Amino acid sequence: MSPPSSPPTPQDGQPLPAPPGPSSSNLGALRRILPYIPALIPLAITVAIVLVLVQATHFENFGRSFWSFNAAQNGILIYVVGSFLTSVPALALAMGIGLAVAIASAVYMPGWLASWTDPFVDLLSGIPSIVYGLWGYFVVAPYFKADVYPWTTTYLAWIPGFAANRTSPSGTGASVMLAIVILFLMILPVTTLLMRDALRSIPKDLWESGLALGATRWEVTRRVSIPYCRRGIWGAAFLGFGRAMGETVAVFMVIGQIPRLPTNIYDNTSTMASLIIAEVDTAFEKSSVGYQTLHFLAELGLVLMGISLAVNVAGRWLIRRTFTEVAGV
Amino acid sequence: MSGTALAAPALAASDDLRRDRSGGVWRRTWFDRIVGWALPLTVLVAVIPILDLAYWICVRALPSFTLATLTTNPSGAGGGLYAPLVGTLEILLLATTTAVAFGLIGGLVTAEYLDEAGAGVVRVTANVMAGIPSIIVGLFGFLAFVLAFGWGASLAAAGVTLGVFMTPYVFRATDLAYASIPPHIREAALGSGARPIQYLLRVATPIALPQVLSGVFLAMAIGVGETAPLYLTTSAAAIPPSGLFVPAGALSLYIWEDFQNPLPGAVHIAFEAAFLLLVIVVGLNVLVRLIGQRARRRLEGLFQ
Repeated sequence: MSPPSSPPTPQDGQPLPAPPGPSSSNLGALRRILPYIPALIPLAITVAIVLVLVQATHFENFGRSFWSFNAAQNGILIYVVGSFLTSVPALALAMGIGLAVAIASAVYMPGWLASWTDPFVDLLSGIPSIVYGLWGYFVVAPYFKADVYPWTTTYLAWIPGFAANRTSPSGTGASVMLAIVILFLMILPVTTLLMRDALRSIPKDLWESGLALGATRWEVTRRVSIPYCRRGIWGAAFLGFGRAMGETVAVFMVIGQIPRLPTNIYDNTSTMASLIIAEVDTAFEKSSVGYQTLHFLAELGLVLMGISLAVNVAGRWLIRRTFTEVAGV
Repeated sequence: MSGTALAAPALAASDDLRRDRSGGVWRRTWFDRIVGWALPLTVLVAVIPILDLAYWICVRALPSFTLATLTTNPSGAGGGLYAPLVGTLEILLLATTTAVAFGLIGGLVTAEYLDEAGAGVVRVTANVMAGIPSIIVGLFGFLAFVLAFGWGASLAAAGVTLGVFMTPYVFRATDLAYASIPPHIREAALGSGARPIQYLLRVATPIALPQVLSGVFLAMAIGVGETAPLYLTTSAAAIPPSGLFVPAGALSLYIWEDFQNPLPGAVHIAFEAAFLLLVIVVGLNVLVRLIGQRARRRLEGLFQ
């Protein structure tokens, strides 16, 4: 047993170094490496997912026809556009309303009221995607078809895409607009929670010194809190966008699922995620069409995985904290 | 004397605010008040859809919902939901086991044994994994478990795939539970002669356990409603699974299969399944909240 070269100095909040045992240098290295094995399981699974998708693709398929609008030849751009056309407006709505709800909850509401409304926002994220889809398909779509579309075609026709030159071909009320609204509701809790947490995390000194200078609560929020939380707000946007891109079944149920570019906001289209679930039945078949579809889905999945990884890494880099809260954000 | 000197910049700044572009004090105060009334109203954007959704699911599910719905198997576009309910619970059990196996030790180790830099990187990877869309995890499960491992569309494939999807939630909850134990508890335990393993098992674990449990329940609440991973890894069987490698139905799958079925009974089944799913999810969320609140109160006690 040899004494360590330098005595361990326990620091506040730091784990104490392990006491030296027999052959302490080897064991020490082992002790430092060993914990990484279970700790890197999430990374290992992520890498495994990418590898499995890659080995199921055909590299020659990533040619020009893959990056085209020709859906008949497995071009994916229609679905990419469809994903962005639904996710971006949904995100814009969710950021605007989310910021309003977050400011209301973090700044203006008395504590007892916030403790009643916050769980509602959290619960919004707990509702399964399929239940949103069912509600959207059977309740909201008929309502939109009967009341909302006539109203928007009359009064919002000046916005590009809102004037109806062709109504939704599926006839059920399923449309890009409905998909945007349902997606907005699904990612609203994500953006709200992240921004609420960011707004609540500003130092009390900063807040109070703003008020002490004679600024109103709104002015401190507008000029101090929001600039202070800029990172958190951007992070919320990235993570909300990632969530919106990946939504599958609810979007499938309310978008009409037709592989074509929408001509207006009442039209049907398809997103990357909704196409995957729509085509899976074919991929189960043990035929040449089945195998072709399988390769195509793996390629599409790889593109979706790439976008979602990029967005999530950016978002998590901006928001480095882990959130305790209930919604699993 | 020095007091006024210190206050001078602050007074100048407040003077600036008073001569602000946005107008006089009266106007600014009223603007603040109006914002204070208007912004809380935006919460209605979240509250109204939830109430509407809950209302319509109940209205369309409850009239045909009887005890027989829970005890009979589905048949065609009618029957009950016994098989999907059992299937859901079995898939969830297998998935939770998988997620705990993958996530628990990792989270614990990240909080207790890694240095700050390593833990930071590991946390980013876990968070990024939580952002992978469920359809991608489903596609992975389909390619890996259903095809490559040859399990076919089965309870095992569905359970393990869903478990992979739930892993980062368990991981993060465990990490957070152990990391939020105040350091002086550890110092007191080690200082009074406890060995590190004794500290971990007899001091830290009892403190962290409620929060870990609430994280596991949260992961279950998120996993139980997932449809895409299940649709790719199992099929809507009409009888409860008799083994690991036979298809197991699930509530979400029945909604998915029935919502486009033109027969009138199918829509009833879909809404009944949605109602059951909603009850399970809300129940799990309430459980998460209750356990989480108690855990937080206990943790606050430790800080005093």
